[in-house]
Parts: sequence; C-alpha cells; structure tokens
Amino acid sequence: MDVNVLDLQRMSTEDGPGLRTTVFFKGCNLKCAWCHNPESISYRPDPNWFKNKCIGCNICVAVCPQKGISKTSDGLHFSRERCTACRTCEKKCPNAAIELKGKRYETDALARELLKDKAYWGADGGVTLSGGEVMMQHKAAIEVARLLKEERVSVAVDTAGCYDFRILEEILPYTDLVLYDLKLFDPKDHKKYTGADNAVILENYKKLTDKKIRVWVRTPIIEGATDTPQNIESIARFLAEIGQPERWELCTFNNLCRDKYERLDLTWAYQETQKTSKQHAENLQEIARRYVANAAYTGAVQEVISNR
Amino acid sequence: MGKVKEPKNLSPRIQWLRDYYFSGIEREWNNEFRPFTTGTPWDKNYNETSYYVVPENYTFFSTFSAGFIAGATKIDLPDGLWDKSIAERRAWFNKKAIVDCVPQEILPHDLLCGATFNIQASHCLTRKESEARDKILLGKRGLRKKTIEFHDTGYGNCGPTSGHLIPGYEFPLRYGFKQINEDLQKRYDAYSEEEKASAKGGELRAMLEASLMPKALAEKYGALCVKFAEKETDAARKAELLRMSENLKVVPWEPAEDFWQAVQSLWLIHMLVMTDENYPGPGLSFGRLDQYLYPYYKKSIDKGEDREFLKDILKCMWVHCNTAYDAMIRIGLNQGITAGYGQLLMLSGVGRDGEDLTNDLTYLILEVIDEMSPILEPKPNVRLHKNSPDKLLDKVCDMISDSQGAPFLLNFDERSMAGLLHEAKFAKLEHLINRDNVHDYGSVGCLENTMIGNDRSSTVDVNLNFLKALELTLGNGKNIVPYTDQLWGKPYKNKQQGPKTGDPVTFLSFEAFYEAFLEQTRYIIKKIVDLYNIGVETRAKYLPTPYLSCLIKGCASSGKDVTQGGAEIKFATIEGVTFATTIDSLLAVKYLVYDEKECDMATLLRALQANWDGEEYKVLQARAKNKAPKYGRDDGAADTLAQDFMKFWANEVTKYTTPIGQTYRGGMLSWNYWVGDGYILAASPDGRRRGQFLSNAICPSNGADTNGPTSNSNSVGIALGGKDGDGNYINVLPNGASHTITLSPSLVRDQAHKDKLKAFLRGYTQNGGTALQINVLDAETLKDAQKNPEDYRHLLVRVTGYNAYFTSIGRELQNEIIERESHARF
Repeated sequence: MDVNVLDLQRMSTEDGPGLRTTVFFKGCNLKCAWCHNPESISYRPDPNWFKNKCIGCNICVAVCPQKGISKTSDGLHFSRERCTACRTCEKKCPNAAIELKGKRYETDALARELLKDKAYWGADGGVTLSGGEVMMQHKAAIEVARLLKEERVSVAVDTAGCYDFRILEEILPYTDLVLYDLKLFDPKDHKKYTGADNAVILENYKKLTDKKIRVWVRTPIIEGATDTPQNIESIARFLAEIGQPERWELCTFNNLCRDKYERLDLTWAYQETQKTSKQHAENLQEIARRYVANAAYTGAVQEVISNR
Repeated sequence: MGKVKEPKNLSPRIQWLRDYYFSGIEREWNNEFRPFTTGTPWDKNYNETSYYVVPENYTFFSTFSAGFIAGATKIDLPDGLWDKSIAERRAWFNKKAIVDCVPQEILPHDLLCGATFNIQASHCLTRKESEARDKILLGKRGLRKKTIEFHDTGYGNCGPTSGHLIPGYEFPLRYGFKQINEDLQKRYDAYSEEEKASAKGGELRAMLEASLMPKALAEKYGALCVKFAEKETDAARKAELLRMSENLKVVPWEPAEDFWQAVQSLWLIHMLVMTDENYPGPGLSFGRLDQYLYPYYKKSIDKGEDREFLKDILKCMWVHCNTAYDAMIRIGLNQGITAGYGQLLMLSGVGRDGEDLTNDLTYLILEVIDEMSPILEPKPNVRLHKNSPDKLLDKVCDMISDSQGAPFLLNFDERSMAGLLHEAKFAKLEHLINRDNVHDYGSVGCLENTMIGNDRSSTVDVNLNFLKALELTLGNGKNIVPYTDQLWGKPYKNKQQGPKTGDPVTFLSFEAFYEAFLEQTRYIIKKIVDLYNIGVETRAKYLPTPYLSCLIKGCASSGKDVTQGGAEIKFATIEGVTFATTIDSLLAVKYLVYDEKECDMATLLRALQANWDGEEYKVLQARAKNKAPKYGRDDGAADTLAQDFMKFWANEVTKYTTPIGQTYRGGMLSWNYWVGDGYILAASPDGRRRGQFLSNAICPSNGADTNGPTSNSNSVGIALGGKDGDGNYINVLPNGASHTITLSPSLVRDQAHKDKLKAFLRGYTQNGGTALQINVLDAETLKDAQKNPEDYRHLLVRVTGYNAYFTSIGRELQNEIIERESHARF
C-alpha cells in the first residue's frame, strides 16, 4: 500500500511529548483560512518555485513536456492546469529551486525511514502522524501505525476529527495519544473559516473521551477568528463538561509560512498578521485554565521589545 | 541583543582573581614567557618544531628564535654540565630556572601557590649538537622548508608539539612525589655500570634531578607564604597563608591529606609539566578529576569543611590554568586560536562493570564550571553512557541551555571505548588496553581519547587533507592548479608528486575513479608520515622532557624519555581533515560524471581549474552543490561511501610507525585548519570554490545536514563504523572525532524542551559519534556581536573541539560560525 506524504520532520519538538518524528500526510478535508501548511491541502503535488534559489538558467522552461512553465517579468510562472506532476522540472533544476511537494512511499518503506530515529525518542517520544488530515488516508495510516507498534514505538495521531468516527476508532489500537484539534466552537464561524461544520468534530471528541486513550486538545490562536475570549471560553466549558483532556495546547500564531502561499500563487489573509503577543497568549491561557487545569499556550510569542 | 552568559555566585575572593586575570596586560604580574640561556653563542631557547603544526606561526620563526635569545637571562652553569647527557642538562637547567631564577608570586586572596610557569629555557646543546639540529631543521631541504611547502601545497600540516596527554597525577597525590623519586633511585641503583654509562643511565639521572623540582619549588613558595603572613594584618588571610605554607610542607613531596593539599599538589605538579615542555598547556590534561580527587574531597567534607570553600580552592586553580595564555601576552597573536591550548578534565563516565561513576564531586565541579564560565580553561568534558543518571543529564542540559557555546564537550563512552579496544587490537596492546580497564580512558586537548598516565598518542601533530588526494586523482598525480609560497608569493613547480594513477578522462566507471583516489590517499598518508617522522626523530634526539617522563608510566622502566617513546602506550594520530568535503566531492563526481552524465570528466576538471568561474560552469556548479548526494543526511548510499573511505584510511595509517615506535592511528580533530586551508586547496567537485571553507572534522559540510541533528548524528555514527550484527559499537577512529551541532535557543526554552534535549543525548549515546559539542545560539546574537564587539567581550562559542571568544577570532571564522548557526532550524 502506498501513502502520499508531504514531508517528514525529524527531531520534531512541537508535535506531542518528547522528541518525535512527524509525518505530514498530504491532503485535507478542511480548508482553514490560516492553514500553516497550505501545500498539504491538495492531494496532488504542486510545483513550488523558490525564487531566491533560482539562478535563471531557464532549463525548466525548456524541459517541461507540457510547456507549462513560462518566464514573465516577475519571474517564472507555472501553469497549474497543465502540470501533470511529472517532476521533470524538479529533477532538471540545477539549484533545487523547484520542488513538487508530495512523495509516495510504500508503507513499510515509510516505517523503515521513520525508525531511523528510534534511538532518540526515549520514554515519551515517538512518531506523530499528522497532515493535512492523516485520516483521509486512514488505511495507510493504520498500516504505518501498526508497523510502528510492532517495533514498540509510541504513536500519536494528530487529527481535526472531521469524519466518521469509525475511521478513528480503527487506528486507536495502534495509537498512544491523539492530538485533537478544536478550533472554533461556534458552528457558523467554523464553517466560515474551515469550510466545514463542526458538529461531527465535537461529537467525535465526545466519543473519543469514552475510549481509554490519552488525548491532547489543540487550538490555534488566530487573530479575529479563534482568539476571542468567547471562543476559548466556549471550548473550555465544552471540555470541562465532556471530559478533560490530558493537556490543552493553545498554539500561538506566526506568519513564517507566508512564502508558502506565495509559491502556490495564493493570497493569504494572515500575510501581515504578527506573532501572538505574550500578553494575549497569557490572557487566553488564563481563561482556559479556569476550566481546564492543564491548559497552556505553546509556541513562540512576541515579547516586549527591549531598547537594545 | 542576545543574552551573554555571565559568571555567577563568585565569592569576593574569586571575583577579584577573575577580574584581575581579565585585566590582562594591565596586570602587575603576568605569566609571560621568561627566556633563559646558557650564554653560548649558538644557544637557542625557542623550539620552532613545537609550532610546525600551527601554520599561522610560520612567518614568525626567525623573529621569535632571535627575540627569545636576545632577551634571555644568562644562567651560570655548574662545572661538568656539558659532559652530561642532554636530558640531564635540561633537567638541571629547567629546575634552576623555575626554582631560582623566576620570581615567585602569591596573588592577593589566592589559595594556591604556583604562579609563574612559562619559561623558554635553553636547549642546552653543544655547538656540535646545535649545528646538527640546525642542519636538519634549517637549510634548503630542511624540515622547516619542507613543512611550509607541504602546507602551502594543500597537504596539511604536521610537527611534534607538546602536551596532549594525561600525566599520571593520581600516583603522586596518593603516594607523594617522593615515591617517584625513590622508585627512580631504586631502578638506577639496580643498573649495571654499563647501563649507568649508557643513554638509559643518563635519562634516569635526568629524571631523578627533575623529580626534585616540585619539592624545591614548594619550599620556595612555602617560605614566601610565611613571609607574607608575617606582614598580613587581616587575621583570616594570615591564617590562610600559614595554612598554605603548612600544605607546602607536605605536598607535593608527601601524599596529600585533604582536598586543599590535593589541589595544591595537583596544580604544582601540573604547571611544572608546562615549565618542562616550555609550552603552556597544549592539551596537557587532567584526566578523571572527579574520580581521583574524590577521596580527598570526601575526607575534607567529613572533617566538616565548607563545600563553598572547597569550590573556591578549585576556582583558584581555574584562574591559574588560564594564566597559560599569558605566554605571549604582549604579542597577542589572535589570542587563543593560534596555539594549541586546552587543559582538559573529564567528569563522570562509566565504570568497569557498566556502572555510572558520577559522584558528589562531579556535581561540585559542574557548579564550579557553571559559576566561572565563560572562561577558556580548563576545558571540561562530561562523559555520557547508557547508564548516565537523569540528574547528571538534567544538569548538563541546563548548562548547555544557558551557556551559548556549551560550557563543556560531551564524550560518549561506548563509541569511544570501542575505538580504544580497536587500537589495542591492531597495535597488539591488549595487555594494556582491554575490557577491564578501557573505561578508565580520558580525553586530551579537545576530544582526543587516550589512556591515562601511560599514553602519549601525539593527537594534534599530524593533520592530513584528504581533499588533496582527490586533486591528485584528477591531476594524475599532479596539482590541478598552481600553488604558491604563502610567504613570498613564489609559485611552486608542478612536479609529479603522487603516483600516475591514469588520466581521469579515461576512467570508465566511478569504481575506477575511486580506486585511483584510494591509491593517491595511500600516497598522501605516506608523505605525511615521512615528514612527521623527521620531526619526531629530531625531538627524540635533542629535546627531552625528563620531568614529564617522571609522570608517564613506561619511561622509568625503559629508561627512555617520553619524547623517545618511553610511554607504555604510544600512537601517532593522523587527524583527517576535509572529510565531508572529500566525500561530497566523490559523490559529486559519481553523480555528475557517471550516474547522471551531466558532464564529462574533462569539463569537470576545467571547471575546477577555472575555480567554477564562468557562465558555462554555473549550472554544473549548482548541480554539484544542490543535486549531488551529500554525507550527513542519513542517506544510506552516501553514508556507505563515507564509511567505506573511513575504514580504508583508518586502516591504511596503521601500517606505519614513527622512529620511536608509535603506531599511527586515525582521528578527526581538525582544529581550525579547515578554515585556513580552504584558501589554499583547489576548488572541489562538490561545488566549493577555492577560498571557501572546508568541512570541519567529522561534521557534514555546512548546510548539508538538511534533515536535522538526528540524521546528522546518525551519519556520524555510521561513518565511524556503526554497529555490528550483535549491536556492538564499532569505531575505527581510536582518537575519536569532533562533531559540532548548533541548536536554536527555542529548543531549550523551558523544562519540557530541555527534556527533549536530554532524549536527544540519550539517542546520541546509541547512534552518534565519540564527542559532541553543542552551541545554543542564534545567528542574530552573533551578527550583533560582530557589529558591537564591545558588548560581547565574553561571548564564548564552540569552534570545533575548543571554545574561543567570538570577538577575538578572525572575521572569516566569525562568518563561518554565523553561517553555521543560520542553518540551525532546530
């Protein structure tokens, strides 16, 4: 069985406890306005052009069998309609300035690749299956998790939970921890910002709490969308009522991924949005902790700027 | 700006001594070289061969040589001295100089005696001996010229320098120096008349003379303590001075009775090695300090002595160690980086049965390091292994997180010991290094693994650029670009040097190319061995170190000076330089010419000769840099080639010995040579231009480790040999290999993240190399330090196996380090 992988992140420190290797599965059924991995949404490899690495040799223009690459006054233009993801341009670009994100692995080859870092995972680290939405490739995900479990690796599944619960249920026997996204409590807002209703997500969380499995809830702190005290308080009340997660992470925002949008010829509403301020993160954390003791913000925050 | 580590929790005493030390040239007292001469017209007291390994010094030999003699104080010689062996003359002269001709000093508040130790003593050679030595070194085909040409043409650098060993300090602490003296006397008395008249007899008499030096100096300092005490008005200080004089009545001659005496004894014995070698602190290392000082520590604690006071005693030693740098204080050659200093101490580590040996003193010394840093000496290495306790790792991670350039280097026992057992096997020394005692190893200098008290393995003396072999392969045994004399700018003739392995254009496969490359590697190894051996032989004949020989097991029993191969265990270590650049270049040749056929060999050669300059090479260079596989990414095919070449060269060197019986062994230290030699060596197939840096020690090329620290570390472990089918560690480099990684401060921002670093270190124990240095730094801090050096005077960074003050190193090296930090995604 093969699996469509966006990327591997070794020595990952932000995707669960301990030191981990994170696999980002490609393809997602949500379209969050703030998505940090826009290249993970589509299932198809898209050409990414790294402007700063381009040496202007025009080899890609010449070799593309679809004649889909053209040189314009502001750089190269890739026709996404013509692209068949044949990767000729990627292979022939001498400076690695073109990348087609998305690589297919056989599940056992992927497991082998992941196991290279087993020595570093220690007691609480391991592998995190993330995305995109990992469960959109649930058969492959289960197979990878099963292979990792055979090697006694701790497996975390990072999911947004927007699908039939039976799919998630199937992977739980090979899972030690679920990282579960709850982004917005208000259904209308959820639909507006992610393109999907959140009823099934909330319902699935309830079902998940009935299972004997460790759960961390994660909420991104997005200006004007998720970062209102009302939203945080609503999620907090929900968690307090339905079942406390082992940990609730409020993930702070930064706009370091804006180049990704540019490379995909997409505009991004959060292009100019600044890092979450420390004060704001602390305020939201304070609200969250009124209901959920193990709530904490994670990620970098904007400190007060010193004069030096 | 980033936060610069500050010393903390210093008592007023230590604060004063530390500030005094850092006032540098302003100080009333300093430890600069004091030169002495016999007064003969041919006399010399500057030993240039000690500096052959330091290319930055090549231009100064004549100046220093003349200068130290011109400024030297004449010492009147006793009758009959010239009839004695060179060793006896040197033993007498050094002792006379340090005991009677150098002023003794006790700094205010100091708890340890033993201030001045840097001297340049006469070589004590007769005219005939001096001329014979000059003939070997100077002249048209002399060693100096050969050494410089060797370096100028990109092969590397070599020469027998001092230190780089761990003397047997534990023995005189426990039994007193008198025991060494008595043992020598017994051995000498047992000699036949014939033996007494032989070289052995001369050496033993020299060692006997030298063995009296610590006592004689202790008496001088003891008397000075009493004198100072008499004048002292502060009662507490007066008591300290009297206690110090009491200490010196006991040590170093008698066994130490408590912690203060042990540290006093250790310091005097240690500093006199630097006196004996006329060279300050080059890798002269302490060994397992927390182990052999522990009984004295325990005794003092049990007596109720104050723990903080014991720390102050050690801190005084820390300050003394740093005065080694005073040697050339007024010349100030790019301080700290032109010379091979590094008084290394080991902490923690495994015991014989796999148990951990961390003790209370380990933690106390870690506190001393933490509170004193940033400071350059001594250099601590913490030994880690699979049973290292969490408490130790927590402390280690805390200190790494707070200290920019890590305050210590980490040494990994399992991989290190595998290397030492490997050398025991090929050198047939299993009776001296085996499973029962290998845990008692130590590192010298930066990270070079040796045994303790009976081992000199010349760990920094021989530095070979593998990339030169690749150039000779491309040139069919000749240079592919012109090389010039760095001093005068005169071009060297491009003669046939290496074997004619064939015009590379004719190689039909990468395998054929690789075979030719191995043949050229054999040639460069032989070439460096031949050159180094001359230096070793010359030192053995003319520059004995009889005092050091007293502290190295094997010298007394064989009647041979340590410079003549007296040590029981002796290797000469070839430190491989440019490893990753060479492997990446091989991978690029394979990728560009053979696998992908992006160009033919002739085009590649022209590109290198053009230094990759020109439109026609732009695409090819980009492919070489970005598309060809690289070592350091945990990529099986690339790392297999790395391992194969590593095994080849590490085995090849073991076929050679030095004239004093050292077997050659492999290691990867590479000091800062990868910086300077980057300007010398021709452009390389990996896309590097001449003028760009080479790779550092066993590290992947800058920026090549795109998969992060774990894959980088896995590659390093694999390159050293990985593990066998049963999971046993393999390490073909007994000396070990320097590995440096940089982590962003965000990785260690809180306790949860420090735990992640701890997990990484535990993993490194299993998969990584022998020695790891971690910089926790961001590029912004360094850029700011470059702009505002005055704000960052004490910013220490790890360069390779050593720390240096960032603001005191050259601009190129600064940029290199910034570039390295910029790649730190993790």
